[in-house]
Amino acid sequence: MSLFGTSSSFGTGGTGVFGSTTTDSHNPMKDVEVTSPPDDSISCLAFSPPSLPGNFLIGGSWANDVRCWEVQDNGQTVPKAQQMHTGPVLDVCWSDDGSKVFTASCDKTAKMWDLNSNQAMQIAQHDGPIRTIHWIKAPNYSCVMTGSWDKTLKFWDTRSPNPMMSLQMPERCYCADVVYPMAVVATAERGLIVYQLENQPSEFRRIDSPLKHQHRCVAIFKDKQNKPTGFALGSIEGRVAIHYINPPNPAKDNFTFKCHRSNGTNTTTPQDIYAVNAIAFHPVHGTLATVGSDGRFSFWDKDARTKLKTSEQLDQPITACCFNHNGNIFAYSSSYDWSKVERKGPALEPRPPPQASHGAVHAGAGTGCRFQAWSRPICVI
Amino acid sequence: MAEGDVEWELSKENIQPLRRGRDISALHQALSLQQEASNSTVCQHRQAFEAELRVNDGEDPLDVWDRYIKWTVQTFPQGGKESNISVLLERAITRFAEEKKYYNDSRYLDIWLKFAEHCPDPLDIFRYMQSKGIGVLLSAFYIAWSEEYERMGNYKKADCMYQEGFKCGAEPREKLMQFHRSLQARVSRHVMSAIADQDSSEEDDAMEIEEPQRITLGELKTRGKKKAVAPINRTGNRVIKNPRGLQMNAPLGPVQNSCLMVFDENKASFVPQEPKPESWMALPSSRAKENEQRPDKWTNIKMPQKSRFGQVIRAPPSRPNFQPFVEECDLPPTMTPCKINPSVNLVLSARKLCREETPLKRLQSHQQQQRDEGRAPEQSMYCKELLFSGATEFCFEELRAERFRQKLLTGTCPCHEGAHQPEACPSRKGAHPPEASTC
Repeated sequence: MSLFGTSSSFGTGGTGVFGSTTTDSHNPMKDVEVTSPPDDSISCLAFSPPSLPGNFLIGGSWANDVRCWEVQDNGQTVPKAQQMHTGPVLDVCWSDDGSKVFTASCDKTAKMWDLNSNQAMQIAQHDGPIRTIHWIKAPNYSCVMTGSWDKTLKFWDTRSPNPMMSLQMPERCYCADVVYPMAVVATAERGLIVYQLENQPSEFRRIDSPLKHQHRCVAIFKDKQNKPTGFALGSIEGRVAIHYINPPNPAKDNFTFKCHRSNGTNTTTPQDIYAVNAIAFHPVHGTLATVGSDGRFSFWDKDARTKLKTSEQLDQPITACCFNHNGNIFAYSSSYDWSKVERKGPALEPRPPPQASHGAVHAGAGTGCRFQAWSRPICVI
Repeated sequence: MAEGDVEWELSKENIQPLRRGRDISALHQALSLQQEASNSTVCQHRQAFEAELRVNDGEDPLDVWDRYIKWTVQTFPQGGKESNISVLLERAITRFAEEKKYYNDSRYLDIWLKFAEHCPDPLDIFRYMQSKGIGVLLSAFYIAWSEEYERMGNYKKADCMYQEGFKCGAEPREKLMQFHRSLQARVSRHVMSAIADQDSSEEDDAMEIEEPQRITLGELKTRGKKKAVAPINRTGNRVIKNPRGLQMNAPLGPVQNSCLMVFDENKASFVPQEPKPESWMALPSSRAKENEQRPDKWTNIKMPQKSRFGQVIRAPPSRPNFQPFVEECDLPPTMTPCKINPSVNLVLSARKLCREETPLKRLQSHQQQQRDEGRAPEQSMYCKELLFSGATEFCFEELRAERFRQKLLTGTCPCHEGAHQPEACPSRKGAHPPEASTC
């Protein structure tokens, strides 16, 4: 199924199910499914940087592995390599030259995976699971930034077992984003800290949270001069805040919007509120994509303050998303995100149990990675 | 060990006394940790407790709370804000507020008594407990209540409490009797000394009846023409129990209009104002919330600064732009711009709600919610109770990571339930080709 160059891919999701008696909620948008998806929920996705020819996608999962696929121009995916951790992988990122992948895991370590030699070595150690990992490329230094549930933010040059720097945070790190020279970290108890990375990383400002609920995901956006100027912050209750660091008029420029809720304008039935699992910005157009536990993804224009598109509902929550370096491909992962959990005796079980298909590998056995081609440029008015 | 002793002696005043005494090794460890200013082990320990709270749903959830509270009390000798102890106690109480099976469990009673100690008015708490039937079959309840009365000087009521306890058949009975006897001994000692003192003193004061405390010599005389007398607070051991607020229950001179329960056998007895046992809707307020303020902005004035990103920040207009935060409920599903004023004012700030809430309101709304289940206009489609059931919040990943850790400990595979042998699990063996996976 080729998606590139056809504008119908955008609309097929909706029209495809018109009049048919069975709705394919597994892949309603008729996007390309990635082959050999991981066996458990996917926690993070990352596309290769522009310095690497072609498109390579890295996905970390709760099955303790990190997988690499090559995405070819015809939309087909080819699994390339895999690495393991001893605990679930929570975050992945690429180095700026595309030769290395950094992976952060619940086993309290972070590893550097050299793709050429397919070797991975440990580069970081924390006292608690590492939740975020980012590569920082500054003019005078480069390092890996790891944020952990042990309330510290550490910076590692990959050659030394000790961190270059360790910053204490007020609470556990829940999500972070880096666009040099700015880094944003959102923590538990609705904490929000902005760091500046010039010369050496230091805390720039602590911001009062614009959201009332637990922070879930954050993504930095850039202005017209390609400088980071603010960030989008998503919470567990269907809301995203757009926050500028130094706006001329904070009251007018900063705002929040509701998303990933059911029932729209229908006020008679209770509105279901879902968590916003990830946010990604289009590298060229500056529009943003949000994915949520309701199993939908949406595209928004933050400058015009409008919603551009919402997908059909998938059968499972969407846990991660990312754009490739030129914005032609949007990848999202559909898998269990553990937003619905109940206690069963002495343990926690997801409700309903994940769709394990009888032990065999099935494309999308409860998990799946799919692509959506952005074949139409979005005009910003 | 000698060094350890010295260390403890040096910070005696920072250590809140515990009735049962403190475990000396835990105390040393806690003090040394504080000196090092490294709290990562404490942090991990606390995280482990929080995780256990959410995962463990065996026969006895109270056990986890009990251990968590005991650990917190031992690890934070000062018992300050860092320990989060008051939040923890409050959560524990509300968690089991409706579970009758724990009402006469001595651990649950323990938690309540600790909670009462942190309250400005413990008597309120005791009365609430009695009305609900919490701890009424345990001696410790009556002993604690009676001690409270004794602290306030109301020996009559203190004695009454023991009678109440005997009447209700509190267990263990011998303990009740023993404490009662010691109370009687203290009362008679006090009466003797009171008589002796009154004979010798010239002033005719109503005195604070606390043995260890120095007897007041008299009220402070006013000077000058002003007749207004400032209230006199003789601080006693009362303050040790309530670090957060001044208590007005200290003895005052006869000039003061006293509605306090000051027991004096020789004077004309008066009826202490004991509110009738009424049905309690909710818990009384646990602490003086107004004394706990979140740090806030002082002023709207901003100095123009050069930011690191090269832009000059202009100060916002001094005239406040009143644009309250509007929650729009019924709009079409486009982006709804909501105006936020981060820099303007505190009156309508989104956080004000938290500041005004008291435990009373929280418990009431909690109970109201339980009654109104299903009628909410908005439903959160995630496991809210699990995320917030401890003293601090959790995120979905933390819950899941905890489950992974548990499964790892018990030896079952975290990847999938059932379906295959643990030995074939990739997380145990290491790398293996994805196509051959049977998980």
